[in-house]
Amino acid sequence: MKIHDLLTQAARRFPRKIAVVHQDQRATFEELQTFTDALVDYLKALPLQPGDRIGLLFENSIEYIYLFFAIQKAGFVVVPIDTSLKADKIAYILADCDARALFFHAKFRRSLQEILEHSPSLRFLISDSALKTNSGNIQTATLPEILSNSSPNRIAPETSPEFRPVDAPHELTAIFYTSGSTGIPKGVMLSHRNLISNTLSTVEYLKLAENDSVIVILPFYYIYGNSLLLTHIACGGSLVIDNRFMYPEVIMDTMEKEKVTGFSGVPSNFMILLNNTSFPQRRFPDLRYFTQAGGAMAPEVVRRLIDTFPQKETYIMYGQTEAAPRATFCPPERLRDKLGTIGIPVPGVEIKIMNDEGFEVADGEPGEIVIIGPNVMMGYWNQPEEQSQVLRDGRLFSGDLGRKDKDGFIFIIGRKKEIIKVGGNRVSAKEIEERLLENDKISEAAVLGVEDPILGEAIQAALVLKPGQAAEAKEIQKYCREKLAEHKVPKYVQFLKELPKYQSGKVNKLELAKSLKASN
Amino acid sequence: MSALSKETIRRDLRQFIIDSFMVGSEDETLNDTDSFLEKGIVDSTGVLELTSFIEEKYAFTIADDEMKPDNLDSVENLVRFVSGKKGL
Repeated sequence: MKIHDLLTQAARRFPRKIAVVHQDQRATFEELQTFTDALVDYLKALPLQPGDRIGLLFENSIEYIYLFFAIQKAGFVVVPIDTSLKADKIAYILADCDARALFFHAKFRRSLQEILEHSPSLRFLISDSALKTNSGNIQTATLPEILSNSSPNRIAPETSPEFRPVDAPHELTAIFYTSGSTGIPKGVMLSHRNLISNTLSTVEYLKLAENDSVIVILPFYYIYGNSLLLTHIACGGSLVIDNRFMYPEVIMDTMEKEKVTGFSGVPSNFMILLNNTSFPQRRFPDLRYFTQAGGAMAPEVVRRLIDTFPQKETYIMYGQTEAAPRATFCPPERLRDKLGTIGIPVPGVEIKIMNDEGFEVADGEPGEIVIIGPNVMMGYWNQPEEQSQVLRDGRLFSGDLGRKDKDGFIFIIGRKKEIIKVGGNRVSAKEIEERLLENDKISEAAVLGVEDPILGEAIQAALVLKPGQAAEAKEIQKYCREKLAEHKVPKYVQFLKELPKYQSGKVNKLELAKSLKASN
Repeated sequence: MSALSKETIRRDLRQFIIDSFMVGSEDETLNDTDSFLEKGIVDSTGVLELTSFIEEKYAFTIADDEMKPDNLDSVENLVRFVSGKKGL
């Protein structure tokens, strides 16, 4: 069984059922299957080798879903790409994985030329509408051309045998890029078994069934969004896509209109809804549950959520891209008395808390959270050194420090690596520091995560200017905006005469954090 | 300073959108009816920047329930929304 069989089986079980809603567009499972198969025929006819990488730079849409399945069904490896990245980062990813083809959403056409100029391996560019390119080596096509002759294959409903994750091959099928601690994106290699086992595990603990539907505000290129996609295809439920979270009232109107049963968000989504909208006054009669992952949400926010909606199930979850992604969840009925927990392992996964010597620690003792199970990634694409730091004997060393209580519930107490989690995005402090140091006015830069009521963590930059230079925070933020994705732009910028340092000359960030906190 | 009119509002908001969100895409045209969302011009952080700019420049507060595409998602919608608020 492979990942695309999730769609094939759903199309057999529920051919005429709505699988996806995107504003005024709807697609049944049968239609998704038809478009997928038409794309598979097209892709198989291209002069590509099995296992070649194909980039997928598309906003959440019906198209994204059949492209995602078609690439894998045709025997290629899908590389979903963060659409908010700057062109140079996108080109880096495409070059790093040696992508031969790119599915490209035309709305991002402003970045296209720069991407193509720095992506030497690309041979095919397929978009949702015609694009002008100056690159003679690249063959272009559009989805309407490819799909023009496809009409729904009528599928007779039938029952299908149950999936068993063990039947899924541990063969590479997707690479999800994630920020590394060095600032260089790391390609997390996931197999059919990784994704299928984690999908079925999540379907089980969320008790998802065909009458479930989830509002999708998280991008599919993000592993949490990808999990929404796969779980709802697997259970025959519906995905209700709405990419307008900047207008939260619109999202909530969609939730009510489409009678969704699930809402999945990162901490910043919940903070915005609870603080700045009519969310607490609405009742959402059809909604069954909330899920939250993508970084720690403050216990008081969790409490507000469950106090506001005591009849709904709230699932606090933890994971990482390297775990495909889910590692733990807290059963809703235990959340109130275990506030602050990330819960217990998801079905089929084992968690150990280990010390630096590689031994499991006693309950209550701190150690690194180590994930063991069929969801653990195959490794990092082309980065064996980074891989060997986190993957040992098939165990995933998460880099998060935690402890387990006597009931087996896990609590996060810190992180080993210097990564800032901004509203669900993992951001490398080093990457931002490097960009800041490219500014002619800046002589030293240190970037930290600071607690933020909305984002979970916000980025704070402490800067030392070169002699005779002057700058304002807004100017630095504008500079960063030109160089970095929006979520990497420091929310706070402070100018200091010097940065505290260790004897080695390395910036003492603990000391810096203390002094910045004191000065605030 | 020119007197406030629909045309000055249109000019100033267009300029703000182009300067703030369309850096590096000078060859792209911005039509007044273009949806910022559909054209990928403004993202969620951009909407916050846009509303801060409007609140500061035109001296009124945008309520949470006014944060919707009908008011904010194109130059045309912005002009209608701001003009209405200023009684123009």
